[in-house]
Amino acid sequence: MSGGYNEIHPEPTTFWSKYIISFDHKVIAKQFLWYGIAFLGIGGLMALLIRWTLAYPGEAFPVIGHLLFPNSAGIVPPDSYAMLFTMHGTIMIFYAITPILIGAFGNYCIPLMIGARDMAFPMLNMLSFWFAFLSGVVLLASLFLPLGAAAGGWTSYPTLSTMIGSPGAGQTLWCVAIFLFGVSSTMGAVNYVTTVITLRAPGMGYFDMPLTVWGLWLTAILNAIFVPVLGAGVILLTLDRVMGTTFFLAGASATSGSGDPVLFQHVFWIFGHPEVYILILPAWGIVSDLLSFFSRKPAFGAKATALSMTSVSVLSTIVYGHHMFTTQMSPLLTQSFMTLTMTISIPSAIFFANWLGTIWKGSIRFDSPMLFSLGVVFVFGLGGLTGLHLGTVTTDLYLHDTYFVVGHFHYTMAASVLLGGYAGIYFWFPKMFGRMMNETMAKIHFWGTMIPLNGIFFGMLMVGYGGMHRRIYNPFVYDSLKRLMPINEMITVSAILMGAFQIIFVINFLWSLYKGKKAPNNPWNVGTLEWTIPSPPVHHNYDVIPVVKCGPHEFGNPNLKTGRDFQYQTEELVQGPV
Amino acid sequence: MKRNELQNNLAMTVVLISAAMLFVTLFMGYAVYRSSADVWPPMGVAKVSLWLPFLSTILISVSSWYCYQVRLSVAKNDLPAAKNQLWLTTVLGIAFMLAQSGLWFSMKNSGVFVTSGIFASVMYGFTWIHAVHVVLGLFALGYLRWVLRKPAGDMLQKTINVEKFWHFLGVVWVVMFFGLFVF
Amino acid sequence: MDFLNLSVSTSWWELSKPPLDISTNGHLIDSLFAYTTVLAVFYFILVCIGLFGFSFLYSYKRNKTPLYTYGNKKKHLLITAFIGAAVFLSVDLNITRLSNNDLLDVFWKWPNPKTEKVLRVEVMAQQWMWSFRYAGPDDQFGTADDIVTNNDLRVPTNTKILFHLTSKDVIHSFFVPNVRLKVDTIPGRVTRVWWDANIPGEYDIVCAEMCGTHHYMMKARLTVYSEEDFKGWMATSEKLAMNTNNPDDKNLAWGWKWEY
Repeated sequence: MSGGYNEIHPEPTTFWSKYIISFDHKVIAKQFLWYGIAFLGIGGLMALLIRWTLAYPGEAFPVIGHLLFPNSAGIVPPDSYAMLFTMHGTIMIFYAITPILIGAFGNYCIPLMIGARDMAFPMLNMLSFWFAFLSGVVLLASLFLPLGAAAGGWTSYPTLSTMIGSPGAGQTLWCVAIFLFGVSSTMGAVNYVTTVITLRAPGMGYFDMPLTVWGLWLTAILNAIFVPVLGAGVILLTLDRVMGTTFFLAGASATSGSGDPVLFQHVFWIFGHPEVYILILPAWGIVSDLLSFFSRKPAFGAKATALSMTSVSVLSTIVYGHHMFTTQMSPLLTQSFMTLTMTISIPSAIFFANWLGTIWKGSIRFDSPMLFSLGVVFVFGLGGLTGLHLGTVTTDLYLHDTYFVVGHFHYTMAASVLLGGYAGIYFWFPKMFGRMMNETMAKIHFWGTMIPLNGIFFGMLMVGYGGMHRRIYNPFVYDSLKRLMPINEMITVSAILMGAFQIIFVINFLWSLYKGKKAPNNPWNVGTLEWTIPSPPVHHNYDVIPVVKCGPHEFGNPNLKTGRDFQYQTEELVQGPV
Repeated sequence: MKRNELQNNLAMTVVLISAAMLFVTLFMGYAVYRSSADVWPPMGVAKVSLWLPFLSTILISVSSWYCYQVRLSVAKNDLPAAKNQLWLTTVLGIAFMLAQSGLWFSMKNSGVFVTSGIFASVMYGFTWIHAVHVVLGLFALGYLRWVLRKPAGDMLQKTINVEKFWHFLGVVWVVMFFGLFVF
Repeated sequence: MDFLNLSVSTSWWELSKPPLDISTNGHLIDSLFAYTTVLAVFYFILVCIGLFGFSFLYSYKRNKTPLYTYGNKKKHLLITAFIGAAVFLSVDLNITRLSNNDLLDVFWKWPNPKTEKVLRVEVMAQQWMWSFRYAGPDDQFGTADDIVTNNDLRVPTNTKILFHLTSKDVIHSFFVPNVRLKVDTIPGRVTRVWWDANIPGEYDIVCAEMCGTHHYMMKARLTVYSEEDFKGWMATSEKLAMNTNNPDDKNLAWGWKWEY
């Protein structure tokens, strides 16, 4: 279906219209990429500050400690620590993962992979970035307030996040920043959903779309439905903080009549659980495609994978209560959430099987995008399985709010998304910037990320199982945690190591931008539409809108006679005996 | 700039679903508050007089009707009529906002302040959130007036988009009217 | 770098085991965790065999000709469906059934003071300490003979301890790792938990819900006494309470009535 916004319109000429207020999805994607990578660095630094404090309380943070915390001899004080883990979570989820996976890859890949010249609504797209930018400014500004930034955890449960627990403007600005970001996300979602439905090139049915696009499309649908739920929650929290309403106040502080603090948790997790799937779906899509591309054979059960990803998206909406087992909801509700949570295993197992089926009997090239994709299979497998321990209520009563949970969600959310994001960056860098990244540095980056990552997050699973609870400033206060301190230290050392190896990525990225080998149209020999055009593409992407004749994973067809082992999506499918 | 009908309808559908989810969340919270309260309004709080909410309902409903007329006129290419009807739509929208302000002042005068507990929180909070969206809608109507200043190919589509949002605001208000004030 | 100093008797495997289980029912949680782990490891090993095995066997150097299949033939769909069903039935439904049984038979089976040996304790959480209230000789909460301790919970063995909890300010969570259970304390609401403790000694009580700057210091001590020692402590405490509590002190009552 086409006939939408697909004309060739004149290129922008001024610096302002080319790079700042740009309507070009490719430029907006890069804006989101810089933005996301910058915040990834800030969030990562916060993580190192947290880990340092946990392993070496009372010791100044090396090099920049005195700069950041001049009043405490370079040591992170307890109130700053609370702000650090709050902002680390907030930044990584909303300001790093979302902009990179959804903002950057969504914007870059969707129009190119479906054969469109731009998104359906380019101006809306531009606004989506600048709202996100404004949101980031508001959030960072809150760090400089006299009473500091929000410090109640990224989940900001009331009543801690109301005025009685969090005086000052930090938590309020957090709410404002989140709301602005929600507006940005919703704008993006409108664009992505509409673009995928209406701007697919002629001949591209839904199951001819690359799975990357499936992942991004499902993410956008979930975003459109559930981000406003969080929006409502933070509006009500802001009203409580600023206008004196009592939506979430109860107990001694609710002097004028009480609301329900647990209601916030329901609202938050009705958004929050779909949110974690929003964060992982693009990575699942990317991995599903890359495993096929680098095994030189079709994605095994591609249709089933697309449908499984869809079922996970649907199921994600009805399981949220597993975050709240310790709040003592009614037994019926508790049991229902436990059972429903378990059903997510089925579609997950199916696309895991399909991933393995894809590399089975392939002819695998271990370029860096493939290494990172294989890494995702490993870490998501491990992390996803630890969800079982958290899904059963009785074990959760022990594990909730321990480092076991932290290990679980970092494996599934941080590790998987980070590795998937790197896979995507290494893969699409040539298309985006017209140059190749250095493959040796990429491989070193992979191992330097993969090995310490397991040290960090498996270590967290261990100390969590050992009983170490989360969000604590100094674990040495507890005799019962003493025995876990060597493992705790190992986690920190792994984190520092992993952080150090990211420098290799940054150097590779920046160097390759200017000095990388010039990239051909199709360095990876892949048949999806974006590889039929130059690297980087011209402003309007396609001189002629392509007509799609086959699927995105046409590799290894023995009937091919062109000398290539793959077909472009614009080529008629070569039939014959198989 | 050609944007086909399907794209606009789809986009507006997503926009309205998103906006609806915000209000659905509010109503879900309201259901929780009411079901866990022994009596509503809570002890000692008087029910809000229906007359200003009722007037608001009338104003926004008639405004929606005129907005519908705007679209019919634009479809017939009758711009002068459309501009008149758009003017009426907007005036009634502003009148709705005045009625809302009247409602808030009357609640304050009868001793129900925003800080007066959960009932007041719901009454003020929900109607304020709706009012903010009405303000956005008024800006949209202003934008539409600018679009209609001279004939253009996409003015019908833009009219339909704004009309949908305006009707949506009316529907949300009607739900609030019955849910918060009547029952 | 202490962690590099590994000794044979305290391997990390040993160190990361949960703390000593002092209750009758903690083992249910430990065994379900272990059972889930065994099943998870089984499936993860299968995934790894696929991942590492296929990476090895089907690398470009070893296998020049990939198999051209969409994986959508009937046999492929059956295999993947079988895998999905196998995982769900063997793992998910299995552990759900076990957990559900434990909830219904044990954790949600509230002790009845009329028919069993039960000690009732009220818990008040606040920023940043725990207060525990015993009913005293008259067995009524909110009276002048109540014993209130701060950060100091003492219980006898062989007795079910039934807790009713609330919070004064923000949400906290009453977590006793040695008993394996936690429950949130919520302002404006009363939550409850029951457990028993059968090994005398001193153990940590921690707060397991972020509650502010000093959340990390919100520690209390659980002292488990033999029944005899507990009686002794109770007697002394009751005497102290009777002598020091002023019945007219409005702060004496926590304002909530014990209701089952």
